[in-house]
Amino acid sequence: MQRRKFLGRSMVTGMGLGGAAAVGPPPLAQAGQPRSPDLPTKFTPAAYANPGSKHNPFATPDYYQYTDDLLIERNNPGKPHKGKVLAAIQPHSDDVPLYCGGTVAKLIDEGYTGYLIRISNDEAAGKTLGYGVVQNEIDNQECAKALGCKKAFTFYYRNHRMDDCAEVEIRARLIFLYRLLQVNTIITMDPYNHYEENPDHLVASRAAEAACWMAGGGKDYPEHYKAGLKPARIREKYYHARSPQGHNLVNRIVDISSYIDHKVRSNVANRGKGPAGAAGSRLRKELASQGKRLPLLGNDDETADFQYVKHFLMDGWRNLGERFGLQYAEAFRYIGPPPDYRENIRAYIDEHAVPL
Amino acid sequence: MDSNGIEQIFVEKDQPGQPHRGKVFAAIHAHLDDIPYYAGGLCAKLIREGYTGYIIRTTNDEKCGGQTTAENILSNEQEHIKMAAALGFKDVFDLYYQNHEMDAISSLDIRGRLILIFRMLKVDTVISFNPWGHGEENPDHWVTGRAVEEACWMCGMANDFHEHLEAGIKPHRVLERHYFYGRPGQPFNRVVDISSNIEKKIDAIVECKSQGGGNFGSRLRARLAKQGKRLPLLGNDDRTADREYVRQFLLDDDREYGKPHGLAYAERFYYIDQRPPAKSKVDEYVEKNAVPL
Repeated sequence: MQRRKFLGRSMVTGMGLGGAAAVGPPPLAQAGQPRSPDLPTKFTPAAYANPGSKHNPFATPDYYQYTDDLLIERNNPGKPHKGKVLAAIQPHSDDVPLYCGGTVAKLIDEGYTGYLIRISNDEAAGKTLGYGVVQNEIDNQECAKALGCKKAFTFYYRNHRMDDCAEVEIRARLIFLYRLLQVNTIITMDPYNHYEENPDHLVASRAAEAACWMAGGGKDYPEHYKAGLKPARIREKYYHARSPQGHNLVNRIVDISSYIDHKVRSNVANRGKGPAGAAGSRLRKELASQGKRLPLLGNDDETADFQYVKHFLMDGWRNLGERFGLQYAEAFRYIGPPPDYRENIRAYIDEHAVPL
Repeated sequence: MDSNGIEQIFVEKDQPGQPHRGKVFAAIHAHLDDIPYYAGGLCAKLIREGYTGYIIRTTNDEKCGGQTTAENILSNEQEHIKMAAALGFKDVFDLYYQNHEMDAISSLDIRGRLILIFRMLKVDTVISFNPWGHGEENPDHWVTGRAVEEACWMCGMANDFHEHLEAGIKPHRVLERHYFYGRPGQPFNRVVDISSNIEKKIDAIVECKSQGGGNFGSRLRARLAKQGKRLPLLGNDDRTADREYVRQFLLDDDREYGKPHGLAYAERFYYIDQRPPAKSKVDEYVEKNAVPL
């Protein structure tokens, strides 16, 4: 209850900041968050409640913890990632669009070749199980297109039942794909997202993480090499949170302001599940049957779907962005390439070695 | 009706020339000495008759060898390579699952790996454990057998592990299976004459030193020498001792299996042939009954 009260207050604060494009008052993170009067002064808050969304339960999680080396990743001019490969791994068709669609679109626009990998069959969403599976399969393809991915893959494990699958097998398939596609960077759900209630999220993200380092080794699944595959060296990982529950460590904020329309379109593509899809056109139709209309929704279904998602469903990322002086942002636990330890030792030797 | 419940036993003799040229078989076993004993003669025969053979070992054999667990893994691994070379296999795959503990691992993972290998090598025929054979006390055997059987038909279906297609590895069905006669009472419907391949089989068994008795001859020779004795059967060097020990003491089953059919040595198998007929029933019917429009 206490958590919800705190969250509710934060949301009100967020609402007061106004629309997406507004320049608005100084970001909260810089201005300092209002502190709960119930928190005794002897305690220093260790986590920050997110302003969240008024309209979308699947936006930012309850809390973030920010690291002291947090970095804002802004637009990079040119194609600095040309030649690199990104794998966006999602348990369900709406995970990447909702939680990291802006960043995926940004990285691809900056040169990455992107692949979308869906782990489940999304059977739990749809008129019947069969219809749900088919619609979500289409959605996954369309979502990949909207984000600029080169190709979409699906493993079709049963939705909501992934804890019944052999994680080692899912991992093996991801290792195969990482090696085949020569993946350099992955973006997926944070395997350490506390209070995660969806087993598919936990299993898929753990498999994705473990596959990263094993894909580079020579002894795991050596038959892949006989099939002509090469080791994959995955040196960068972006872990995103899920919502509504969640408590995540964040060390990277990605400015997705220039890519918000990509994110919107990838969510519109998700017609089989999630809060977006055709919700705008459905609302437009419903209002028309009552003799009303919302100017926001425009004059056709396509505009209605787009505007509905952008106006109502993106406010969580708008609110997050405002905290950092950005229009829209997504947050990540980013794990970058490790130092070149051997090179560092060599450099030391070069500097300090003396004749015998 | 034979005592094993099979109505008719087919005796497969040597075939002249290379009738299997262009075909591929995979021999899948759990432990170093399984293929040499259960099917070493058949493997040598098929390779001689034109097959390209590959061998796949599913465990790491860590429990066998009389050394430390780590040393056992190494010695079995190296002997596996030598044993495969003795039989003429083109390549060796080791999956290294933990010995005696395969019932604890994901059958889906093993199957997925076998499907990749079967597709990649375009395997036509497999030789492995009978997954339905009674009396099997070793979990590694039945887990391997089941995974092989399941992989055989699934590897022909494009929707299973469809990511393989992305790598250019196409679906490929395995249509012939030889299941070992692994334990007394297991069914068999084929007796393979391995008389002309017995030397290859012996060559393979003598490489199985960590398990399988490959070095029993030289060990016996050394023990006798310490006692100031020798067995003429074992010859004058370790290699001869090992080979002759195998021939004299370790091939009784093969001799017994051959006797009822007048063969010097034989191996028994439950053979399954799923190759479609050259002409299907539908084709035949159409040929006979189709009329002009």
